[in-house]
This record gives sequence, structure tokens and C-alpha cells, in this order.
Amino acid sequence: MIEGIFVEGLIYAIMALGVFFTFRVLDFPDLTVDGSFPMGAVIMAAGLHQGISPVTCLVLAFAGGLLAGFITAAIHNKLKVPHLLAGILTMTMLYSVNIRILSNKANLPLLRIDTLLTKVHGLAQGVMAPEYASLIFFILVVLAIKFLLDLFFLTDMGLVFGALGNNEQMVRVQGVNPATLKLIGVGISNGLVALSGAFAAQYQGFADVNLGQGIVVSGLASVMLGEFLLKSNRISILTLRVILGAILFKGIMYLGRYYGYYINMTPNDLKLITGLLIIVSLAVANFKRIQQKGGA
Amino acid sequence: MKKIMLTAAAVLLSAAMCLSPVQAEKQVYIGISKIVAHPALDALEQGVQDGVKETFPNARFDLQNANGEMSTAASIAQKFKAEKVDIAVGIATPTAQALVNTIKNRPVLFCAVTDPEGAGLVRSVKHGEKGVTGTSDMTPVKEQIMLLNRIKPIKTLGHVYCSGEANAVALAGIAKAVCKELGIKFVETTVTNSAEVKQAVQTIAPRVDGIYLSNDNTVFSALAAVTAVAMKHKIPVMSADPSSAESNDVLAAWGFDYYKMGRVTGRVAADIINGAKPEEIPTIYMTDPSDVDLLINLDVAAKLGLVIPETIVETANKIIENGKLTSK
Repeated sequence: MIEGIFVEGLIYAIMALGVFFTFRVLDFPDLTVDGSFPMGAVIMAAGLHQGISPVTCLVLAFAGGLLAGFITAAIHNKLKVPHLLAGILTMTMLYSVNIRILSNKANLPLLRIDTLLTKVHGLAQGVMAPEYASLIFFILVVLAIKFLLDLFFLTDMGLVFGALGNNEQMVRVQGVNPATLKLIGVGISNGLVALSGAFAAQYQGFADVNLGQGIVVSGLASVMLGEFLLKSNRISILTLRVILGAILFKGIMYLGRYYGYYINMTPNDLKLITGLLIIVSLAVANFKRIQQKGGA
Repeated sequence: MKKIMLTAAAVLLSAAMCLSPVQAEKQVYIGISKIVAHPALDALEQGVQDGVKETFPNARFDLQNANGEMSTAASIAQKFKAEKVDIAVGIATPTAQALVNTIKNRPVLFCAVTDPEGAGLVRSVKHGEKGVTGTSDMTPVKEQIMLLNRIKPIKTLGHVYCSGEANAVALAGIAKAVCKELGIKFVETTVTNSAEVKQAVQTIAPRVDGIYLSNDNTVFSALAAVTAVAMKHKIPVMSADPSSAESNDVLAAWGFDYYKMGRVTGRVAADIINGAKPEEIPTIYMTDPSDVDLLINLDVAAKLGLVIPETIVETANKIIENGKLTSK
């Protein structure tokens, strides 16, 4: 049970890292996520059914997400469309694209097909239970992604990303084109989201075109909860707290499902809880900021 | 020391709370996971509970709903696994898939899955898998279309379905094949949500002389829009859902009662708990005449200038005439 929360939290943490990149680093609220998440899932499923190796499918899923992000950024840059609308446009278009990828189906099962996870379970057979094999595998995957992201943010380009979210004007003065940065940033972000979707499909045993419902909100909730947990300006801590936030968010949702009935809560109320969680996190963060200003 | 005593007391107390009093009858605990709250699926959920209670009156249920979020289907499956439910029931395709994928050491039943083979739940509908079987809501597509054809010979049949619903996509494929076989031209259009249904029907209405609706939650949510457009164009609507047809201008509806399907699923669940092997139980289809409802709306027929053959009226168990519903 507890390992279930952790595995799910880790899978969605990859998506939350993508959301963190756009929302927090680039200051680019990106709703492409609700389309690029299922896109990763359907590319993975379609690829596995074609007999392509799981690792290649993951790369393809990442590439698909990257492309989706490029499109959102391009709409925003070239047509001067606000970010929210650009993301919604891409997300809307992706629904049709995803159905095409599944060759005009809405849902593709992965129940009796070799996935990366069945391979991992095969390796761990006789050594440990599949749940724990999944857990260790995802800890490694997420740590690898986190490590790569940390490295990326410490390169010259990564540092400019941080500056862009803070002050676009300053970046422009330095002779860097913000449009190019946004293209790369939103691309990588959605690549991560699609990667998360590809893992989620294997974990759940199916890919479905409706898999993206509510994803961006859960990503946001994870990012905000993480900011609750740790205070720091160091990038390695920033990414770590996103991961912890994602796990905590899943944990809270589980608690709601498990013990909610004590306070007469039904599973239908969970969406309300998600929204309230984000609002409370924001309110507390605001309150703290005001206090700090008053105290300074 | 005091702390240790307190902790021990707390542990004992919580253990005592977990242990229910031993009963003569086996305490059965069943998890039901449905994808979304929806009249048909809610009726199904109720049916499953009542079906189980025929054998185990004291059965306890954990009713979970994924609120339409597929990502939640896996969380629910994890929960059932952790709670070691005696049996897990998945209502609709994605929830059933998540359960089968997660729960390996307990039986899983699917229901309201139109195409269990296509959904990867069973390799063949002729028998279950190890620990997996269930009921399908496959409707008699061919018979439905032929029934409409008997009331009014159809040259071109229109079909609206939701591209995001696995069940609807499977049925659309069957309807297409049936029309080809019967020599009827088939015009299909898809929607992604219930708000698009009206427009979709408007675009195909001028080109068709009948509309067929299969099991499609999205389209049934907007049935009033379908029938409004169809009546304006004077074309009959044949639906697969008798319950929603009671309050809309549908010429004929032939399908089964979801509550009954739930009851059948619940009985199977009870059998499995009593030792029946899921792998020996084939996918159950609702084919028994007593399971199937046929609704005929004579008012709509009159408005469309159609005469429903007496033989069909005789087989119907729900007839709407002069605004009144009579059930046989």
C-alpha cells in the first residue's frame, strides 16, 4: 500500500518536474500537459504493440512531448497568443492526434504485453516482490531525471532560464532571444510530461486518450505542496521538493479515499480537495511573504 | 514507561477496532471501482451489491469512483489490493483494466465492458482468465438495426458516437460491418463531449433517414439534443438504452437494464467467493429475453408517420402511447 503511493507519486513526479519547469522557472503557465501526458501514454502503447523495444518507445514518447511543447511555444511566440490559450490549443489538437496514434481507437490495453515494468519484475524475480522492484526502479529513474535537470539548470543556458522567469527584459538586454528559450523550455517540460505518461500507461496496464484529465492540476498541486515542505533557493532542493510534493499529493489523495468516510467524504469530493489544497498552499505562501516583508 | 503503556494501549485499541466480531457467515468485502458517476453505471453498481447480498446479506462494499480521471483508476486498484478485498469489480473498460493489471492474487470481475477481448481483459470471451471474468454490455447491434429497418426501410443510417469511449468505438465498428452486410449506407460522425452532440447530429441529419445510437455515455447524456434534431428532420432514432428513451422522443430502444446486469455480475461474484473458478466462467452476455428491454414509442411513430408492425409491438415490454408509459 505504502509502496503503491510512492510508486505512483514517483511516476507523477516526472510530470510535476515538467510542470515546475514551465510554471515556476519560465513563469509560463502551460496547459499543454493535459494533452502531452496521454500522448506519451499512447506513443508508448502503440509502440509496444508494434514490437518496438520499451526503451526506444520511451525515447519516442519524450520526442512526442518535446514536439508538442515546441508547437505551444511557437503558437505563443509567433502569433503573440497568451500562454494559456496556446497551451489549450495544442491540448485540444492533441486529442485527435492521440486517437490517430492509437489507429482510431480510444484505448489500448497493455495487460498481456511485455513492458519495461514486466522486464524489471522479471529481473527481480526470486529476489524481491514486484512492487518493491517497481519502487526501486522508479526511484532510480526519477533520481536520474532529477540529476540531469539539476545539471541542466547549472549550465549557462539553464541559468538564463532562471533569469527569464524572473525578468524577461534583463534577458533581452543580455542579447538572448526569449522566444528561443521558451521553445526549448516548454519543449523539455512537455517531454518530461510525456515520459511520465509513458510510465503511467505501463503502470496502469492501458493507454487511453482521456488519460490527461486533471493532470495539470495534480502537477500544480504537487509543486505547491513541495514548496510547503522545504524552503531553499538551491536548484537541487527545488527539484527534490517537487518530487516530495508529488508523493505527498498522492498520499493525501489516498488518505481521502481511505479515511474520508469518517468525515462523510465520498470519492466524488476528491477534486474539491485538490482545488482546496492548492488554494490553501497559495494562501499560506502569500501570508508568509507578507509576514517576511513586515518583519524585514 | 508511561509512554510505552499508552502506546501499547493505543495499539491494542486499534487492533480491537479492526477485528470485527466473528460471525457464523463469512464476512465478505468487495471493492467496486467505477469510472464516473452516471445513471447507468450507478444502477449497475447498485445491482452488483444487491446481487452479492442475495448470497451474503452482510457483505461490505468499498464503492470507489474515479471521477472520470483515468489516472485515478490505478490508485483505486492499489487501494483494493492493499485492503485485500475478496473480489474487485471494475465498472467500464479503464477501471477494469487497472484492476486486472494491479490485482494478481484476488479475483477481478469486469462489467459494462463491450469488447473484453479488445480491452485485453480476456484472451477469449469463451472462457475467463486466471482470476478474471465478467459481464459484457455488448448490445445486439445487428438485431437493433434490423428492427429499425423493419419499421422503416433505411437506405442511409446515421451514427453518432464518442471517439474517446472504448465501448462506443468498438460498437461503431460493428455497426459499420452490419450496415455493409445489410446493404445500408453508413454515415458516422464522432464527438468528444456531450456539448458537441447536437451539432454533430445536425451535420448528418439531412443526409440520413434513420439514426442509430449504441451504448455511449457521452451521447446518452445529450439524448434530448439528438431527438430534437431528429424530430425536426422527421427521422427515427433507434437507441440501445431503454431507460433514457423513456423521457425522450426515441422511436424504439432495445437494450438491457443496467441494474439487471449488475445483479448478474453480483451473483457471479458470490459464486466465485464460494469457490467457482473465474477461468472456467465465460464472459456473460445479457441475451436472456427477460434481461432485455424493448421500448416502443407509438407517439413518435405517429409524428413520423410510421406504422410499427403489430408483431414488434407485441414483443415490446415498454410502450409509450398518448404520453403514458406502460410496462409489461
